[in-house]
Formats: sequence, structure tokens, C-alpha cells
Amino acid sequence: MKRRFNTRSLATRLILGSAVWIVAALVVGGLLLAGLFQGHVQRIFDDRQAIMLDSLIVVTRINDDGRLELTQDPGDPEFERPLSGRYWQITPQSGAPLRSRSLWDQTLQLSGTAKQTQGRRRYIVRGPRDEELRVLERDITLPGSDKVYRYAVAIDYAEIEGLVQPFIVTLAWSLGVLGIGLVIGAMVQVRYGLRPLGHIREALSAIRSGRTERLEGNFPTEVRPLADEINLLLDHIGEVVERARTHVGNLAHALKTPLTVLTNEAGTEEGQLANTVRRQTDTMRRRVDHYLTRAQTAATAGVIGARLDARPVLDDLARTLARIHRFSHLDIRIVAQDEIPAFRGDRQDLEEMAGNLMENACKWATEKVRVIADGADGELRIAIEDDGPGLPVADRKKALARGGRLDETVQGSGLGLSIVQEIASLYGGAFTLGDSAMGGLRAVLTLPAAPTEAMRPAAE
Amino acid sequence: MRALVVEDDQDLARQLTDALTENGYAVDTAHDGEEGHFLGDTEPYDIVVLDIGLPVMDGIEVLEQWRSAERAMPVLVLTARDRWREKIAGLDAGADDYVTKPFQMEEVLARIRALVRRSTGNTSPVLTVGAVSLDPSASHVTVEDRQIKLTAHEYKLLSYLMHHKGKVLSRTELIEHIYAQDFDKDSNTIEVFIGRLRRKLGVDVIHTIRGLGYKLSDEDEAAV
Repeated sequence: MKRRFNTRSLATRLILGSAVWIVAALVVGGLLLAGLFQGHVQRIFDDRQAIMLDSLIVVTRINDDGRLELTQDPGDPEFERPLSGRYWQITPQSGAPLRSRSLWDQTLQLSGTAKQTQGRRRYIVRGPRDEELRVLERDITLPGSDKVYRYAVAIDYAEIEGLVQPFIVTLAWSLGVLGIGLVIGAMVQVRYGLRPLGHIREALSAIRSGRTERLEGNFPTEVRPLADEINLLLDHIGEVVERARTHVGNLAHALKTPLTVLTNEAGTEEGQLANTVRRQTDTMRRRVDHYLTRAQTAATAGVIGARLDARPVLDDLARTLARIHRFSHLDIRIVAQDEIPAFRGDRQDLEEMAGNLMENACKWATEKVRVIADGADGELRIAIEDDGPGLPVADRKKALARGGRLDETVQGSGLGLSIVQEIASLYGGAFTLGDSAMGGLRAVLTLPAAPTEAMRPAAE
Repeated sequence: MRALVVEDDQDLARQLTDALTENGYAVDTAHDGEEGHFLGDTEPYDIVVLDIGLPVMDGIEVLEQWRSAERAMPVLVLTARDRWREKIAGLDAGADDYVTKPFQMEEVLARIRALVRRSTGNTSPVLTVGAVSLDPSASHVTVEDRQIKLTAHEYKLLSYLMHHKGKVLSRTELIEHIYAQDFDKDSNTIEVFIGRLRRKLGVDVIHTIRGLGYKLSDEDEAAV
């Protein structure tokens, strides 16, 4: 069976709970109010009926013939209007009763079950129109007679109902409106009250998508410990990842010296052993470099909360490379606008990509290396060009293959370009090779830029 | 040419030492940072091969101390850490070049040759004085395209003279640069080697500067 409400939702639970409580309270309150009002109206009618009865008694006397008669009208015009719903009747112990004009030709059958208080009896009978009549009755012995007369005043019950009914209708719809208002209020309150949880969810999703590193914001006292715990957990995960990364790094680095020894021991010797050692150490070297790059980059690529000004990184690299190539008098220059977008990533990764490309350019350049940094549409673009011999289109793909090395005579591990491509793709960026107007190779890195201050979501 | 190898891995240190020796260098080896620092601080090396990850004293620290003591010999840094962060740190500390592990010995030798050549103010990979040519990459000496066979010590001496052509070099300096540290040095041997070199080369390029030492040049020098 399909569940109509998702009771796993805190909001639904709270709203349902409030709604049940509100409806119950309003129904009970409404019944109580209606009952009180009805009782009150009835008491007023009862009091008026008692006065009518007393007035009737006052206007009767025993005349000189020993017969009962009215000295004047009982006062209420309704007693005169036929079948008005208000009647009186005085019944002697024997003989025909005296009746109000309103009874017309009928007689009230006064025989209901009586409730006696202070000599008065109350009960309900059927009236001339078959209406429900509320009767107040008293036995009186008038002066000048020893006979007992039953004085009765009857009022149509519908008169009371006529007053009570509109009140109940009004009460019902106002309580209904109040109920709806309260439920809406409860919903608003629940939504408002649970909003910090929504903020936590958004903050967590921001962490997962890499926009921030920690749960930030002013959380209420009740939620603060949860946010703090999550932050501690994030720190812990960060430490574990960092530790694992360090271990991978240490292992990879520790393997490099033995690999060097094995490679050089095999040297340029011929023979199956030397060949196998060379081949296997080469494979090991590639694997180590591959996983080392991944371990070093993947961990940082996940944390993209950072903003990094690319300019100082490029300047540092240019300075370092100029130092290495100081004897060949290379002209290495950074060409950048004053405001280039910040790189959304880690400093070391940018150093790795730009460093390898700039080193490559320096290796091949005749005299000029240009690094052109600019950006648009949320991207940072770094183009590295040289005036060297360039790279034929057919060779470019090969150069990007893992560990591809085109020229064994120029020193280098040959991993440069593939590492650049790997890191760039881990960041969701792009890396392309083309022709430079200066004659050599033009390598273009397109990387995600950090949002500018204006584009950044406002801090909580 | 004297070289210092500072590398804690015994096998790699041996390979580097062997390769350098084979290429005509007089090589000293240190296996930790402290020993390496001491040697570099006290001996006149023409090239230092320095590993970054060293016990006792880190390679970067060794290098910084040398540079702050104005020890200006060219230093080639070996590092397993191939990230640019580490390369920049090494070069900022005063390294002249770096090679990342794992490397081919040929690559290290080529870098060393380039560093030595540049630090002595030579630009061409083959050193030439008059009719005499010395190719450090092949350890070849030719006179008018005729290959000359030299012993290891003769080659070391000629190589040092060729790298510093036109300069007056004292016997002490020559001894310091052709013998490794623990070698029993005798300054008289220099005269013997010079005599043999003159005979084998057959051209008059090694001039004796009386009271000062020797000078290699293709101009006729009047003996003082």
C-alpha cells in the first residue's frame, strides 16, 4: 500500500503532530463553547418563562362566581397570535382549561415527565403544530378558592435553537479558519525551525562538490554540535587522506633510488638479463610516476575551495628556469593582464602543469619563451609558447601518451606532457598543443577559475 | 677535475663514483650530509653531485651552508621528489641544476659536463687549444685529428688545464684538482706528468711560468 505521508520527514512529522493537536483542541473547545452558549441561552429563556408564569399567576383571580378569570392580558403579544409558539394554559382539577389565544382551538396535553424544582416542573411536550414545546408548570391555589390550578407556560424549543444555531455555525467556521491558520502557522514554524538543517545539507553538498572545505555558518545552539562534529570528521578524513597520500608519496620516492641503481646497473650492457632489467625498471618507473601523480593530484583536486593567484607561481617558475638556463641567455617572459582569474585549485598542481610546460619550452626554445595568461567565462587560460622547432601534428598525440618520449637525445623523463594532461583532466580542464606564431610549439592549459568576489555566494 | 658525490645509497654512490672516475674525474664520496658538507667546505671541488634526501643533514641545508660560506662550486642536485615545489626549493638554495630519480647515468654525466664547462667559462662542448682538442663526453684527446692515448692521470691533468686555458695554474692547485682526497699526493709527480703530456701532444701548448706554475695556451710564451 502506498503511504500517503512520508513519516520519515521530520517536517511532516512535526506538521502532522501539530495538526492533530490543533484539530483536537479546536473540536473540544468548540463543543465546550457551543454547550456553554446553549446552556446560557436556555437559562435566559427559562428565566423569562418563569417571569411569564409569574405574570400569568398575577393576572388571574377567582371571581365572585368562584370561577377563574383573567384580570388583564398576560402582556406578551405572542400569546395572542395563533400558533405563535408561545402558549399558556391554566388547567383546573376539573372542567375545561383556560388557554391563551395562541393555542386557538387546541389544548396542551400536559403530561410529560416532569423535573421538579421549587414547586415548578419542566418538561417537553408536542405542541399544536407538532413542535417541541418546553413547558414550565406550577400548581397554584388562588385566594378565595380551595381548588388547585395547573398554570403552564410553553415556549417552542425552536426559538432557543434559532438563537443557538447561528452561533454554532459562526463558531464552527471561525474555529475552522483559526485551525487552518494555526496549521499554516505550524508549517511556517516547522520550516523556519528546521531551516538550519537545510543549511547543513547545502553546506555538505558544497563540501562534496568542492566549493568549500568545511561547514561554515552561524548554526543554532542545537545544531552547532552536529556541525562541529562534522567538521571534526572532515578534518579527520583530511588527515587520513593526507597520511595515505604521504605514504604513497614516500613509497614512490623510496622506490626511485633502487630503480635508478637497477637501471644503471643494467647500463648499456647487452644480454637477456640486462634487457629484462631495463624493460622492467622502465615499466616500474612509469607506474610509480603515474600513481605518484595521481596520489599527489587526486587528493588536492578534490579540494577546490582554494583560490590561487597564478601570477606569482608563473613568476617563480620563470625565475627558477631562467636560473637553470642562465648560460643559454633565454628570454623567458610572462605576459598577463593586470587582473587574471584566480586558479581554483592547488598551488603544487599549477606548478606541476605550468612548470613542466615551461621547462619543455625552455628545452626547445632558440631564445624566447612566452607565457601568456588570461581568462574568460570562469576559466583561466595559460598559453606557453617558444620559438623552437615545434612539434609535427602527427607527433603531438604520441607526446601526450603516457610516458611518450619523442626525442631520446634531449634529457628528460618524457613524462612531462602526459602528467600535465593528467592533472589538467583531474581538474576538469583541458590541455591542447598547437603552433606558435613564434615558430615553435604552443601549449595551452585551460583550467577552472575560482569565482570572482562578486560571483561568490554570500557568506552565511 | 675533482668531483664530490654525496649520496646515502651505497649502490648508487658507487655507480656515480665509477661513472665519474671512468670519465676522468677524481671522485670523493660521502654517505651523509654532515660528511658531505665537511668535504665540500674544505676541498676544492669542480663539481658536486648532491642528493637531497640525506641522513644526518638534509641536502638543502648542506647546500645553503656552502652557499652562505661562499663556496661557489657548481652543484647538481639529485632528487626523488620530482615536484616543482622541491625543484624550486633546491634551486633557490643554490643548486645549479637538478636531475630527478630515476635517471640514466648518461644524463647525469651530460649535466655534469655542461655545468663544469660553463662554470669554467667555456661554451663549446669540445675544448680546443691550438691543435689540441679535448672532448669530455668521450674522454678523447686529439692533436690535428690524431687521437692521443693518455693515462688516467695525464687525462685529468690535461682536462683541468684545458678547462682553465690561458690561466696560470700552480702545482698545488693542479694536485688538488687531479687527485682524490685520500690519495698520497706528491707535487713532484706534476712535473713528471707535464713532461709526458708535452711529449705525447707533440705541440707546444703547455708553458712553464717560472715560480708560479703552468699555463696552457697556443701562443708562444717567453719563459720567465
